[in-house]
Amino acid sequence: MKARFILSSAALAVAVTSFAAFDIGGLTKGLDSVKKGLDTAKDASKIAKAAGIGPKEERSIGDSVALEILSRYGGVVRDDDIMRRVNLVGLALARTSDRPDLEWRFAVLNSDTVNAFSAPAGYVFITRGLYEQAASDEVLAGILGHEIAHITRRHALKIVERNEATSGVKSQLLKRSNDARSVNSQVQQINSVVGMDLSGMLKTMFVNGFDAPTEFEADKVGRQLAVTNGFAPGGLRAALLQLQARGENRKTMFATHPPLAERLKRLPDEPALAAEETLTATVAEAK
Amino acid sequence: MKKPTPAAVLLAALFTASALFAYEAGGFAYTKRIETKLLAEPKPLAEATGQLPFGKQVKVEEVKGAWLRVSDGPVGGWVFAGNLADTKPAEVKGLLDGAPIAASKTTATAAARPLDEAAVKYASGQQNLASAQEDLEWMITACAAVTHEDVETYLQTKKKGEYQ
Repeated sequence: MKARFILSSAALAVAVTSFAAFDIGGLTKGLDSVKKGLDTAKDASKIAKAAGIGPKEERSIGDSVALEILSRYGGVVRDDDIMRRVNLVGLALARTSDRPDLEWRFAVLNSDTVNAFSAPAGYVFITRGLYEQAASDEVLAGILGHEIAHITRRHALKIVERNEATSGVKSQLLKRSNDARSVNSQVQQINSVVGMDLSGMLKTMFVNGFDAPTEFEADKVGRQLAVTNGFAPGGLRAALLQLQARGENRKTMFATHPPLAERLKRLPDEPALAAEETLTATVAEAK
Repeated sequence: MKKPTPAAVLLAALFTASALFAYEAGGFAYTKRIETKLLAEPKPLAEATGQLPFGKQVKVEEVKGAWLRVSDGPVGGWVFAGNLADTKPAEVKGLLDGAPIAASKTTATAAARPLDEAAVKYASGQQNLASAQEDLEWMITACAAVTHEDVETYLQTKKKGEYQ
């Protein structure tokens, strides 16, 4: 997985590397001289305000990340019935999420791995491996609700915003440097293709995963979204239990998520009828 | 398939109800749509009595299942709980720059926004993304085929959302 990430993000890596390799000597000298006269606190404050990502930027990022996800996980399952089901359940939830007016899009990835992803601007993907375990809409809603919550809470975008705020300080320094014009041109070239520096966000999404508190928040918000819309409260719990019953481990399943037992412990200990039925059927089938 | 016992059914109903009662009479909620309709009754097809803009704080006067009777000064009416937020929606740069569309106006055409120009440029520069771009464009079209009316029908049939 890690190797795949490194290979498939070669383009981004090349872009970043080429930036890093650009006239480092001259750039460093320029930065040193500028640093002396820079009111860092004042500029950092300005940057923090400017770092917010609006809908236009979010669409650029979301579309680019969706391409990456499709590229890494076998593309989309081109089945009209599957697309219809996953979009009906997904839209039933998303329309009452905290960002109801996003252009929500749901799809199944053609991969046996068991995982789910979201990308800014309303993209939600689950792998075929996970979709096949969501026999009921209640369980599917539990899974999709979790991913929707990542988007409504702007979890991925917050990483980009933090990166931009940091790189924004560099940018302020560069603007005042003699070398600024040529360097900025190169930075703009990268930005025009990718939109922003997405490397930190991609690493989080595909390698490290969000931190545990972020995942727990997505569990909580996603569950509430499902419940508000009349889906079984324990849909997500059932999905996680099913995976546990199948003996999935962290390496192959939800590799980018915290341990199952910890997530289950934090969910309300509630009966979920439809989900329990599904679990019973799945366990029996597995035997 | 194992049949749920009546006790389990009751317990599940209680859990569901308690989860919905995140709002309490006397508390506050916020609108999160560009426009939120106030209805004369706690029913999805009830007559509209008014409309509230985005980010408006309203007082919760009464809770009835998944529905809340709210007021904003002299204006009041019923709103499905899913159409309100318990915290004020975050103010995001450019949020109202024409991107959000009222749910009632969402159509297949609106949902079929083509791939962003920057993403197309990104894909065209990477050989390994050519197939992903085709997939994404197919996905965008397939998603657009599921209309607002389809979702309404799904909700009615499955007794979800406002129809539960």
